[in-house]
Amino acid sequence: MTTPATRRDLRLDGVLLAVVLVLALASLMAGSAPLSPQAVLAALAGDESVAGVIVREIRLPRTLLAMLIGATYGLAGAALQGLVRNPLAEPALFGAPQAAAAGAALVIAFGLAGATSLAVPFAGVAGALISIGGLVAIAGRRASLTVTLLAGLALASFAGAATALVLNLAPNPFIALEIAFWLLGSLQDRSIDHVVLAVPFFLVSWVVLASQAGSFRALTLGEDAAASLGVAVDRTRIAVVIGVALGVGAAVAVSGAIGFIGLVAPHLVRRAVSFDPARVMLPAALAGAALLTAADIAVRLVPGAIEIKLGVVTALIGVPFFLAMIFSERRTLEGAPS
Amino acid sequence: MSGESPALLAAESVSVALGGVGVVHGASLTLRPGEIVALVGPNGAGKTTLMRALTGLLAPASGQLLVGGQSLGGMTPRERSRRIAYLPQGHVFHWPMAVGDVVMLGRHPHADPFTGTTEADRAAVERALVATTTAAFAARPVTSLSGGERARVALARALATEAPVLLADEPTASLDPRHQLVVMELLRQAAHSGGGVLAILHDLTLAARYCDRVVIMDRGRIVADTAPAEALNPARVAAVFGVETVHVDIGEGFAPLLRRPL
Repeated sequence: MTTPATRRDLRLDGVLLAVVLVLALASLMAGSAPLSPQAVLAALAGDESVAGVIVREIRLPRTLLAMLIGATYGLAGAALQGLVRNPLAEPALFGAPQAAAAGAALVIAFGLAGATSLAVPFAGVAGALISIGGLVAIAGRRASLTVTLLAGLALASFAGAATALVLNLAPNPFIALEIAFWLLGSLQDRSIDHVVLAVPFFLVSWVVLASQAGSFRALTLGEDAAASLGVAVDRTRIAVVIGVALGVGAAVAVSGAIGFIGLVAPHLVRRAVSFDPARVMLPAALAGAALLTAADIAVRLVPGAIEIKLGVVTALIGVPFFLAMIFSERRTLEGAPS
Repeated sequence: MSGESPALLAAESVSVALGGVGVVHGASLTLRPGEIVALVGPNGAGKTTLMRALTGLLAPASGQLLVGGQSLGGMTPRERSRRIAYLPQGHVFHWPMAVGDVVMLGRHPHADPFTGTTEADRAAVERALVATTTAAFAARPVTSLSGGERARVALARALATEAPVLLADEPTASLDPRHQLVVMELLRQAAHSGGGVLAILHDLTLAARYCDRVVIMDRGRIVADTAPAEALNPARVAAVFGVETVHVDIGEGFAPLLRRPL
């Protein structure tokens, strides 16, 4: 808000952007055929070698998706946390990716659409919309975190059951297996078509969520005080539901379920923006992009015949992180005045 | 409609229902410039509900709310927020933001997304910080403050809006005696500089000592709206609150002293 803070934020955003770009370059270099930075740059410039094809057709879509999806989850997490005013809020805890996966799985399993058709992200968005909308409706205006998390748990379990039902009833065991793997979350073998498919959803999601930044800041004082300051709290709530559903739904449609970026990314940068729920949004998006790109490099560097799925890695890292946050926040969670 | 001197805020037979149940019945009151008015009543009398309606957070089931002669219901949230500052119960801060940034939230009604923070915003925040003597910890996280300090910061946030009307819900709750007096002095100061202040209070002595008028609510109705000595006469306090009181002369007015429950 004040000028020094703005300057600090710009510096933070600049550093994070540089990290993202370095990681993106590393992501283009990493793989079963490691490439030099020069080779990557030549490939991006359009050379006709095999390396050029590998970079442009295999690694570039994957890298772009990692950055875009990471940024989307980071922003979605920051927005949900701003809305419910708690750092432990995260789309995966509210069942959003699970529900999006159920929607997408339904469409794929019954052959309603090919894996790169628009029906998949729309089904994902619909699933996420139901779960986040349901959560906000159930948890209500003055929901405690306990109610919110319990409702999220229930919705996530239900979404899991719905997905299991889809797998159960899948007409073809190969499709069921394919969906089961896809649900683990991965950016392997994605094409530029996937990027094109998801980008419009991401852009709308970012604009919708970012437009609520000022409201999140006012919500620091609680809903009544925010409303008295001219914030249309109901509209903010709807905007967050739609923004998160669009982003998460489309992300899940192209990558399967990848969790916990929305929890970890805002947490990493929150202190640097003095816990301001509006200023945290851009750094959280950049940190999310960096985290997911780094994780996607990591899964390619681990030796072994089978690539570890990205969603498995983010969960393996994210859940202990979540537990550590609960541990450090437990005094607040146990009802001490915040 | 609202009399000869223009009321900052006027409620005319306002009824409010929560979940279909009537909570406030036909309440009328006015708030004029320079006035500080106490809203008192037993728990569950409908004070907070009435105040939330006056703020525009709840739509009345019937009756009319006027702000400076204009209908509150016809205003945009933004117009409303510039005219009425509201300090809810509890002084909640959900993030450990810096005190100065929290007080700046009071400027949200004036914020323009294209110009950002203006000189006027900074000046208003500075005045609010100075008035509440919170300037010294403007850079500290608000969650690190004591209850009394938080109450002053919450008040500074409401004052920073520089709205003509300030509605404060239990601004002195859970404060030590000195901070209760400090907060009441600040509210009186805000009123005497030309605004109108309505404060929900549980302490009848504070209401009697600091307020120009006392409005008493009982079971959703306003049962008194007059000068403190008359409003808080022992017979009415006994009937509404179920406590026996005596008026103690303290030189500059009186203080109702609680003796025993009836």
